Amino acid sequence: MAASDPTSYLPLPQAQFHVLVALTDGDRHGYAIMQAVEESSGGVVRMGPATLYGTLKRLVDHGFAEELARQPNATDDARRRYYRLTGLGQLVCAAEADRLARLVRIARTNLRPGLA
Amino acid sequence: MAAPYPVYRSLVRLYPSAFRHEYGEDLVAHYGDLVADRGARAARTRTALDLAITIPRYHLEHVMTEQHSTTVLGLVIGLFAAGGLASLMTGVGPPSLILFAVAIGLAVTQRSTLSRALRVPNSNLRRRRLQTAAALGGTFVLTYGTFSLTVGDSWTITDTLLALVGIPAMIAAPLFLLAGLLTPRTPNGEDLVRAR
Repeated sequence: MAASDPTSYLPLPQAQFHVLVALTDGDRHGYAIMQAVEESSGGVVRMGPATLYGTLKRLVDHGFAEELARQPNATDDARRRYYRLTGLGQLVCAAEADRLARLVRIARTNLRPGLA
Repeated sequence: MAAPYPVYRSLVRLYPSAFRHEYGEDLVAHYGDLVADRGARAARTRTALDLAITIPRYHLEHVMTEQHSTTVLGLVIGLFAAGGLASLMTGVGPPSLILFAVAIGLAVTQRSTLSRALRVPNSNLRRRRLQTAAALGGTFVLTYGTFSLTVGDSWTITDTLLALVGIPAMIAAPLFLLAGLLTPRTPNGEDLVRAR
């Protein structure tokens, strides 16, 4: 299985998927990613600083995300490091979303027959 | 002016050095944002659990990286070889054969891992291996010299201690020397391989 095959990275750890989803909305710095993850999870997922940066490190190591050489906008805070989704990261995120969607569909079908 | 959040900053020092160098300032800045955004108490609550979980976890991950696995593998092979040699020197034949066989078996079966660790250009690692070889060589010379001066008709605890230190040093010194000489220098003196 080729390493560039997005399905070869599945299933993604929950924290990695949350961060990738946060980056689908645009380039963000660490604190903004944490806020986006909290918002998208309805406050259920609360990442601490080291968990967040450890997750970002893994995403960068895998080639799913990359650090921007400079801030996206001139008005952005220069001390912050911004991250963006790579092409591989988008494919992996989409593949994980499809996998979870299939899982949710099965769960709904089995739990509430007729409602799926 | 003193650096902000000294307690959190000092706790960040507990992370593995590679992670700390890469993200240490980001962690402190992130903590500062949390304090400003949610208050000191909420920031402390959130980061306490985070620290408790991630410090041991990242250390474990650091230890499990290939470079460290190779070091552990090398040490295990060296210990088996040292045990074999010690057994041979004390006149106990069969155990020495078994220990040597295990050392050779490990080296043969794990040869691809060991050779991979030697092929990566890294001037820092090369220097560390050569320094370790020099230190081990010095240890062997010292223990052997002391042993030669103090050895008597009967085998004492001091002799045993000197043998326990000197024999592994005698085996490990040439291995580290060989590994250091085989490790290529980083081109242009730059570190291509960053500690992870």
